[in-house]
Amino acid sequence: MLEAIPMEHGLALAGVLFSLGLAGVLIRRNLLFILMSIEIMMNSAGLAFVVAGSRWHQPDGQIMFIFVLTLAAAEAAIGLALVLQLYHRYHSLDVDAASEMRG
Amino acid sequence: MTSSPEAVSQFLSIAAYMGGLCFLLAFMLGIPRLLGGKAWGRAKNDPFESGVVSQGGARLRFPAKFYLVAMFFVIFDAEALYLYAWSVSVRESGWVGFFEAVTFILILLAGLVYLVRIGALDWAPEQLRRRREREQQHN
Amino acid sequence: MTFTVQQFQALLPLVITCATSVLVMLSIAWRRHHAFNTLVCMLGLNAALVSVYFAAQVGPQAVTPLFIVDGYSLFFTGLILAAGLASVTLINTYIDSFKYNREEMYLLMTIATAGGIVMASAHHFASLFIGLELLSVSLFGLVGYSFHRPRALEAAIKYLVLSATASAVLLFGIALIYSQFGSLAFSEIGPQLHEDARPIVLIGLAMLLIGLAFKLSLAPFHLWTPDVYEGAPAPVGAFLATAAKVAVFAVTVRFLLLEAIGALQIPAIFHTLAAIAIASILVGNLLALRQNNIKRILGYSSIAHFGYLLVLLLTGGPVFGVEGFAAYLTIYVVTSLSSFGVVTLMSKCGQDRDADQLHDLRGLFWRRPYLATLMTVSLLSLGGIPLTAGFIGKFYVIVAAMTFQSSWGWAMLAAIVAGSAVGIYFYLRVMVNLYLAKPGMHKFEAQLGWGQHTSGLMVLCASALVVYIGVYPETLMQLVQIAKAAGVQ
Repeated sequence: MLEAIPMEHGLALAGVLFSLGLAGVLIRRNLLFILMSIEIMMNSAGLAFVVAGSRWHQPDGQIMFIFVLTLAAAEAAIGLALVLQLYHRYHSLDVDAASEMRG
Repeated sequence: MTSSPEAVSQFLSIAAYMGGLCFLLAFMLGIPRLLGGKAWGRAKNDPFESGVVSQGGARLRFPAKFYLVAMFFVIFDAEALYLYAWSVSVRESGWVGFFEAVTFILILLAGLVYLVRIGALDWAPEQLRRRREREQQHN
Repeated sequence: MTFTVQQFQALLPLVITCATSVLVMLSIAWRRHHAFNTLVCMLGLNAALVSVYFAAQVGPQAVTPLFIVDGYSLFFTGLILAAGLASVTLINTYIDSFKYNREEMYLLMTIATAGGIVMASAHHFASLFIGLELLSVSLFGLVGYSFHRPRALEAAIKYLVLSATASAVLLFGIALIYSQFGSLAFSEIGPQLHEDARPIVLIGLAMLLIGLAFKLSLAPFHLWTPDVYEGAPAPVGAFLATAAKVAVFAVTVRFLLLEAIGALQIPAIFHTLAAIAIASILVGNLLALRQNNIKRILGYSSIAHFGYLLVLLLTGGPVFGVEGFAAYLTIYVVTSLSSFGVVTLMSKCGQDRDADQLHDLRGLFWRRPYLATLMTVSLLSLGGIPLTAGFIGKFYVIVAAMTFQSSWGWAMLAAIVAGSAVGIYFYLRVMVNLYLAKPGMHKFEAQLGWGQHTSGLMVLCASALVVYIGVYPETLMQLVQIAKAAGVQ
């Protein structure tokens, strides 16, 4: 069944997701949405790994996906702790509110 | 793209499944509208929770402790994924794999002991109060 | 699957460092006692450093497809462990005045060091990724550790967002390369890269290098560096500038120079990297001119220094390049530890900022002559003045660029000369401040008898090494032969 879908289509889907995530990181100013966009980028890389792994009939792609998931979870944990701190201090999730350093 | 008979039949069965799904949904939504009775009233628009009238809004402020518990769940959940990967290859990885998995679990256990000891897991207010009282007695 | 005693012995430094992190965690769980937890951490890291010697006895070993333990990886393992140990030493006195939990800093530092060791011995994309993330995720916590300071929160958010984005870019690049070659091992991808540079491979390689350049803060991707250096606690800055950078650079060089040699022969990749090197040198040196914060100046200085290192990577070739870059990184680590060490010795974590403004340093010589002398030595070395270690490093870079007969070689040489000239100006500007008479304000004072504290002693040793290497470079040159052995093979 998977043979029917060429790998390039899977990679293209991953690429579109990745671009969406990157655009989100660049455009959004709300820290929560930035973290969500980063998750999308991570997961698109994971999707690319799974697609590539299925092309070569290797488990490596799926193992890398587990690593990516773990990283995403760890980063979400720290990111949300920072969200709490940011809200606690500025009563806003706007990252520009916290940006003082320049240059 | 292959167009072998097997592939075509697989796509056909998926199409049939989709069609069945759409029919079922239309049936379930349409039949009550045609056959069922209708009634209007102010109480009908209230949120309904097992016959209990709701109190206050849904926008409560949760203590940040809940975030911590959720995070522990996500992290330990992700760690369990590695054990799935080990469990499907337990014969191939042999005793070396077994000892590596044991080390992994022991490290996770050490992490859990650490979390319990620094008090990250006692989120009940009574325990918190008792702990604070104990600390005040010490000081 | 087999696992021999030799392989275990070769992996000892990594195993001991990981065990240390678990032990530190358990010791915190058992009893939260600052001196005791520090002792556990110190003993573990020292044992790991000693075990590097025993790991070297078993010769080059490939341990599982993920790791390779050879002279190259052991050299950088030792360097990372030494830098981590020095940063832990600096933390000890610095964090005494911190109101909240102090001990987790040692835990995070040990985990980050373990991540660095994983990267130094990685020759597989999976281990590269694991090492990089062990390092980065613990650094998120370390950068934001003094969260009562507003700048620390800002630095942590910037570092988290940009570093996570860089990780995602790097991962996607790895996935694209994997999709074309069907392998994650450096040695299997290497030969195919040059012969078969399809567009999708080039995109993947470019994304991989962009991700690494982000972590190394090379020029177009350097924007986070000064802010994070300023916001992070000073000992974390020391770790970020030394151990973290060494680990990422070690794995980059292993990929580009030792395993996937073909990558640098692709013209597009080479030209882009050369442009990045020149841009880093110029941006790092020119933007440092306007700064009034010593930690930001050191941040820009690290951008410039990694520009020099990239020149060495591009022009040196696998033999001279590896030797030169091992020497340069050692010199850079010693010098950075000494300069960040002085800033740390003057600051306390309990205050709302570090003693990092130029006017905090004003007249330091008249108050703390020894500290000012150490700072002067390390600044001279960063500027590359003869008789300090920095000169030896710059010598390697210039020799490599001159012997590389191409127009890019001359362009890079011109950038190095221009950058060094500008660099000397702003290092001198900081130095002049140290000796200005009539001290302005005395807000930050080093503790009395700092020389007796272990961190004071560590900074003193680092500065002594800077001078020693500058005067007798032979010792260092013999040491880097260990790393070079991997390049000759």
